[in-house]
Amino acid sequence: MTKKVINKSDISKLLKDANNEYNVYVPMEHIGGDVLFSLLSKENNTLEDDIKRINLSSEKTVNSPKEIFYPQLDTMMEYNDKGEIKETVENSKKLVFGVRPCDFHAIAHQDHFFSKDYEDKYYLSRRDDSLIVVIGCNQPPLPNECFCTSVGTGPFLTEKFDIQLVDLGDYYLVEIGNEKGADFVNKHEKYFSAPFRDEIKHAESTKLEAEENVTLKVNFNKALQIMKTEEIPQDNLERIAERCIECGACVYVCPTCTCFDVFDDMKDGQGVRCRIWDTCVFSGYTKEASGHNPGAKKEYRAARRYEHKLKYDTLESGISGCIGCGRCLHSCPVDIGMSNFIKEITTNQKYH
Amino acid sequence: MKNEYIPYPAVIESLITESFDTKTFKVKFADKKIAENFNYVQGQFMQVSLMGVGEAPISITSSPSRKGFLEFSIRAAGKLTKKIHELKVGDTMFIRGPYGKGHFPFEEIKGKNLIFVAGGIGLPPLRSLINLVMDNRKDFGNVKILYGCKTADEFCFKDELKAWNKTPNTEVLLTVDKATDDWKCRVGVVTELWKDTDIKEDNAVAFLCGPPIMIKFVVQKLEGSGFTDDNIIMTLERHMKCGLGKCGHCNVGDKFICIDGPVFTYNEVKKLPKKDGAM
Ligand SMILES: Cc1cc2nc3c(=O)[nH]c(=O)nc-3n(C[C@H](O)[C@H](O)[C@H](O)COP(=O)(O)OP(=O)(O)OC[C@H]3O[C@@H](n4cnc5c(N)ncnc54)[C@H](O)[C@@H]3O)c2cc1C
Ligand code: SF4
Ligand code: FES
Repeated sequence: MTKKVINKSDISKLLKDANNEYNVYVPMEHIGGDVLFSLLSKENNTLEDDIKRINLSSEKTVNSPKEIFYPQLDTMMEYNDKGEIKETVENSKKLVFGVRPCDFHAIAHQDHFFSKDYEDKYYLSRRDDSLIVVIGCNQPPLPNECFCTSVGTGPFLTEKFDIQLVDLGDYYLVEIGNEKGADFVNKHEKYFSAPFRDEIKHAESTKLEAEENVTLKVNFNKALQIMKTEEIPQDNLERIAERCIECGACVYVCPTCTCFDVFDDMKDGQGVRCRIWDTCVFSGYTKEASGHNPGAKKEYRAARRYEHKLKYDTLESGISGCIGCGRCLHSCPVDIGMSNFIKEITTNQKYH
Repeated sequence: MKNEYIPYPAVIESLITESFDTKTFKVKFADKKIAENFNYVQGQFMQVSLMGVGEAPISITSSPSRKGFLEFSIRAAGKLTKKIHELKVGDTMFIRGPYGKGHFPFEEIKGKNLIFVAGGIGLPPLRSLINLVMDNRKDFGNVKILYGCKTADEFCFKDELKAWNKTPNTEVLLTVDKATDDWKCRVGVVTELWKDTDIKEDNAVAFLCGPPIMIKFVVQKLEGSGFTDDNIIMTLERHMKCGLGKCGHCNVGDKFICIDGPVFTYNEVKKLPKKDGAM
């Protein structure tokens, strides 16, 4: 694998250059201190401000990069009262900079999901011309919730990435994973230089330390095994159902949740059909026109989410629907989360 | 890449008011090329929409043996379906599909006796197969059609019911939950019809469509009459938003009803997780 180094002080210059060719998405600080994946401004007067707000430290973005390719609200088509329909597909060239390794695995999961059976043009055209630059995690961004080492999705990637950065203090070691990554680095070669042997060594030891720094461990494989062969204990489901306030936070921050609702909106002869994220934890999710609601019981809705991610996704594609990012536990007001669920079914203790 | 979400205009050629809440629409694709290349299989459905109102899954009730048009029987259940009921001949609706890998078998059931059991708006999807069988009548044994509604004014396809009943070796049996004075057939739930005809697993396959509670009791009856789980075939209904296995709404266990169904054998249905309310 080809390796380079880049000085951290050159990152903003690199991103500004890239901003001429790509739509650049990067973790940015927002009012209140939340770090969110955001689009770098194309306007000179606001670009400088955006650049200052970029945060590539070990902060985890509240949102996952999912919404770059699959926005929460997406217009699918425009139409008028003459019955003329125009599809609205977005296909800009994108650079997504600063994706965490677990979230990169989630993108691979999404790529598979949106291509199988029927190709989802909205997702795939957004994703088509995109370059992803991953930053490995020296420290777990959510120290109490990240459990990537148990799932095998981090804290660094070993393959399949375009570019992966290893944080070495004042500079990054740049690992180039494929031709797409190489093209990008070559195009901006003035910012990149060849690494010294020390730097490569430093990166290797950083990766080993990073592995140690992820302290939350769960028995993920045992959980998958149990899910494949056994029913989730009723008691477990009931306790989740009792506490869940159905806010939907866990599914909105989840980098692999894909469910959506579709609605039309029309005014003065012009209309749009849109899709909007929806979630199986909401009670109306499965309600049918007859009033019959097969998914009405709350504990079954809880089961559905865990089974889908841990059992059915793994059985179907070999890719787990949970990537260990920890966002669900971090965002849940009542401390329900995938890692707690896994702990409960693999040990006999209660964690929430 | 084809955009599967984009619907195509289809013009209403004729419409029949079946009952107080159900109308049958005969439509043709406005685009001749699309019309010519369009094929479907009995038991599949389309996503039917009105721009500005919404989209819903609707079974194709016409038989693939009758080409050049599509028929939908639509019950006014809510926002979209009520608006569709306001449409007139010559008006346009928008459709995409057909969807559902799980459809009714045809070649496989040749030579067999067939039992159809429908409740309420459950007859339209079965009708696609029934008329396909009628158009190939000599290839099949006895055909029994058991059809129950809440009240007599809910029955659809009244002329066809009579015509099917007149076809040799074909029997149509009706029942209502609540009878009016002029009702001459049976009163009671659809399983009551077992009293009026001899139903046995004698080289027979049963096809079911109706509300979950009906399905449950009919399956019990059929099992009592000796049917195996593979010879009980049903359509499952689920809230659906895409028909493409993407929106997630119809997901049950490892299946998506929209693409893996909507037709399943009872054997397959039994394997779905019970807690997801498959039945
Ligand atoms: C495979 C399949 C085949 C079908 N075939 C036929 C057919 O041949 N003929 C036929 O008449 N019907 C058929 N249906 C049922 C039909 O799709 C529904 O009646 C239709 O979707 C109702 O849409 P609507 O906009 O008119 O009603 P809506 O106004 O959308 O809904 C009516 C009720 O449904 C519930 N609901 C709807 N959307 C939501 C939501 N997003 N969240 C929560 N609750 C909601 C509400 O309780 C609402 O009051 C079929 C359904 C399936 C799945
Ligand atoms: S975040 Fe917690 S409370 Fe909210 S829906 Fe998810 S599990 Fe329930
Ligand atoms: S209807 Fe959307 S997944 Fe089945």
